[in-house]
This record gives sequence, C-alpha cells and structure tokens, in this order.
Amino acid sequence: MDREHGRSRGVSQTLLATAANAPSEGEVAFERLYRASRDDVYAYAAGLLRDASAAEEVTATAFERAYRKRSRFDPRRGEPRAWLFGIARNAALDELRRRGRQAELAADPIDGSRSAAGEGVERSERRLALAVALSELTAAERELVALKFFAGLSNAEIAEVLGVSESNAGTRLHRTMTKLREACPDELV
Amino acid sequence: MSSFRDDTDLAAALLALRPTPRPEFAAELDARVAAGFPRARRLVAPTPLARVRSRFGAAPRRPLLAGAGGLALAAIVVATTVIAVSEDGMAPSPARQHSGRLATPLGAATTEGTGGRGGELGAATAPSKASSASGAAGETGAGATEREAVAPSRSGPYASHAGHRDVERAASIVLGADPDRVRSDAAQVFEAVQAANGIVLHSTIRDGGAGRAGASFDLLIPTARLGGAMAAFSGVAEVRSRHDSSQDITAPTVGVGERLRDSRARIESLLAQLAGSGTSQERAEVEVELRAERDHSANLRSRLTDLHRRANLAHVSLRIETGASSTGGAGGGSWGIGDGLDDAGRILAIAAGVAVIGLAILVPFAAIGLLGWLARRAWLRTARRHALARS
Repeated sequence: MDREHGRSRGVSQTLLATAANAPSEGEVAFERLYRASRDDVYAYAAGLLRDASAAEEVTATAFERAYRKRSRFDPRRGEPRAWLFGIARNAALDELRRRGRQAELAADPIDGSRSAAGEGVERSERRLALAVALSELTAAERELVALKFFAGLSNAEIAEVLGVSESNAGTRLHRTMTKLREACPDELV
Repeated sequence: MSSFRDDTDLAAALLALRPTPRPEFAAELDARVAAGFPRARRLVAPTPLARVRSRFGAAPRRPLLAGAGGLALAAIVVATTVIAVSEDGMAPSPARQHSGRLATPLGAATTEGTGGRGGELGAATAPSKASSASGAAGETGAGATEREAVAPSRSGPYASHAGHRDVERAASIVLGADPDRVRSDAAQVFEAVQAANGIVLHSTIRDGGAGRAGASFDLLIPTARLGGAMAAFSGVAEVRSRHDSSQDITAPTVGVGERLRDSRARIESLLAQLAGSGTSQERAEVEVELRAERDHSANLRSRLTDLHRRANLAHVSLRIETGASSTGGAGGGSWGIGDGLDDAGRILAIAAGVAVIGLAILVPFAAIGLLGWLARRAWLRTARRHALARS
C-alpha cells in the first residue's frame, strides 16, 4: 500500500516537473520562426546596412525584441515573418539613425571576390559589377533588394513590412531591378 | 544593354550575393535564444508565482494597462472602505442601523436613532451617535453635536451671557413592547418620571392585542435630568426610535428680561411722577400711563416665565407600541434584508462616486500619456523614414 502510494506520488511529481519546464506554445512558435528566419534577418540587415557587425547587432536586437513581444503577436494581423521583419526593420532603421547622429561608419568593402570554385572570370566580374551597383543604390532601394532576394520575402510580405500596397511594392521592386540592370552594362561581359 | 539577360538572371546573381552570418555569431545567437534571452529566463526553480506568470504569459499582455487598472481598482476599494467606515464610525452592524442619519437643522441640534435595546441606546456611554448626543446631555450639557448648536457667542449683544445659555430641549422616544407588558412598562415610565421630578402632562394607556395595545405620554422633565430620564425610559423596553432636539433661546430670554427691567424702571419713574403731580388732570394722565405700563410689564414677565420654563423643563413625548414597528424599515430593531440592501446601495453609491472621482483624476493623465505615446510613435516613424532617406 505504502509502496503504491509512494510510486504514485513520484509519478505525479515527475509529471508536474515536466509540465513546469515545458516550453509554452508561444516559445515553441518563436523557436520555429527563429530557425526559419535567422539567416534571412541577418542577410536583410547586412544588405541594408552594408556592415557585418552592425547587422549582427541588429539581428540579435530584432530577435530579442521579437522574443519579448511574442505574446503580442496577433496572427489575424499578418504573417509571423512579416511581423518579425517589421521588428528587424525598425531595429535596422534605428541603427541608421544612430549612424546619422554619430560619425558615418565606413561600409564594409564590397565582397565581389566570393566566387565558387571553377567560376569563370566573366561571372566573377559580373558579380563585382552587381555589388558595386548595389552599393550605389539608395538605402530604400537596397532595402527592397535585401527583403526580396536576401531575406526571400514575397511581394505581399514586403508590402506588409514597408506598410505599402502589394502593387506599390512590386512597382518599386521592378524599378530597382531595372536600375540595377542598367548599372551593370554589357561591356563587362 | 545589360550584362544580365533578364530579371531571372539578375535575381540569381543577387541570390549569390546574399550575406550569411558568421558561424560564431549564429552559434552565439542560437545559445541566447535557447536560453530565452537571459533577462527573461530564470535559472532557479520556478516558484508558484513564476508558474502563474508563465501560464498567463501566453495570453496577450498589456502590462501597463493591467497594472494601472489593478492600482485603480485597489484605490477605489480602499477609498470606499475608508469613506464608508469614516462615515459610519464603524462597520455596519445590526445594533446601530440608521445611526448614519444625522440632521442638524438651523438653530437646533437634532439627532435620531432607531433600534437596539433600550439599555444600549439610553446609557451615556452607548456607542451610537444618537445616544452620545443625548444620553447624558442633561447632566453634561450636551453631546458633540449639541455643543455646536448651543456654543455660547463670545461677541454681540448677548456676550455677557456667554457663561450661561438658555437651551430649550425636547425629545421623543418610541418603545416596543409585548401587549401584555404595556401596563407594567407604563408603570415604569411613571416611576422614571417621578424619579426625575418630572410632570406627566398627558398619558393614555390602551389594552388589546398586538398593534392595538399601547401607551403614550406627554412629559415635562427638568432639563438637568433629561439625560438620566431618557436613559431610564430606554431601559424600560426595546427602543424603536428616538429623537432629540435642542434650541438656544438665550437671545429672546435676554431680550425680554431687558425689556422687563426697562418697563419696571418706567413704572418707578411714573410712580415718582404721580407723587409729584399737582393737578388732578396730571394725576389722571400719569395713572393711565402707569396702568398701560403695568400691563406691558406683566405681559413681559409672563413671557419671561414661559421662556424660563421652556429652558428648565424639557418636553418629552413617549410612546409604547406593540406589534410591528410603525417607524418603518427597521422592523423592531433587528437588522433585516431591507437594511442590508440599504447598506449595500449606500456602499455601491460611495464606490461609484469614488470611481467617478478616480476617473476624473486618471483620465487627464491617461490622455496626456496617450498623446505622448502617439507623438513619440509618430516622431520615431518620421525619424526612421528620414534615416532611411539620408543613407
């Protein structure tokens, strides 16, 4: 009798401990979002800021803010990724504001030399030309490229992050692409 | 002509430029996320409070609003309790219901009390306001409210009477008794009147069943013994209601007294004039004036006597009832549902008042806070837009 009682109590204690330490639904969802978006957020921040260390800081800040605000996320108001990139965008723009107040930081040198093994000179030059063209874009244009191609957001998600209509986001993106293409003349080939 | 054939070609090239985080940074961030960002994660075993917080953590939180709301609610509860207790002197209890009714009409102090056993209300040390204002008023001068009403004036035409005030007092009391005890209770009333050297102006005693049997008395009690007499009446039977009043009649008493002295001096003067008058015509004229003045003096003396009687003897109306109380509401001194509803309504009214006042204070602050928050948000949005445009 005593043994049964003792065993039963032990089981219930174990269950209680498990329940207390189990992550909440919000934590699980955040963990999933983090794993799916960590590199994308970094790529967006680095593409916009052109500064690896600032991008790391912005990425960490964005995820920490998102973690603190995770209970306020309302799925009815949008996609989790758009919500996360909204937070990341604010953190990145805050970083830009800080830069504006302080001395202008030098952007990281253009890394056009990242070439896959066996990649031809032609492709390498094209890549370098594109990197230069990217650096000559305005921050707003660079942000569009970063959101679309570095972070992998859809036009609808970009529109949600920027607070504009989807068609407006698409038009802006098209103009930026055209500008980029024009900035990479055929003579390079 | 561009070096990129089309958008797909350009997109592929852009994807190849995609920055990737350093492995060290990625590992460090993974660790911070796994730790729940250290500020939020507790390393010690979760307390019951922490478990509750964790449980509610999943729900949408508005910490500031919740905190402010809780604080406001607590303030309302505390303020309501303080006001209710300070208004009553103590928490509502069956023995002192309706004691909150305290009226002080102009020129007179009036207290009412209903219910409770006679002994409780009649004694000078009884806790209710009603009894404290009148229980031993005859001997001590007055209760707190009464002292306010008869406080001697230190200035003006009657300042010389500051040490002595003429106060007319009156009281009425309703006792509840069993029909078969009406006569014995009435006898005790007579004994109490006799003990106080009082006068029974009128008395009626009716026999019969509950509601029909009863007694009523109109009494004059020496003011100095009114408190003791009321205490004795209260001890006869259950007190259903009680009413005490007082009125300062110093001014008319002094005024009539002075006019009486003037009149006497005038009479003395006329008598001297009569003694010195030479002709019969003069004597006749003086005698007419003298008669008129004597009538006036007698009239004033009568009025002064009446005022003194009013100051020295208090009029007491005493009624013994049987059956249900005719004073309504209280139901024979026991605290009932009606009283409970009254108290509840009063407390709700106080709570509503406190809530309205609290809102009147909080709303402007909340509006200022909201405006500040909106302004900061707008400013931040503009500053971010400018930062993006500048870069």
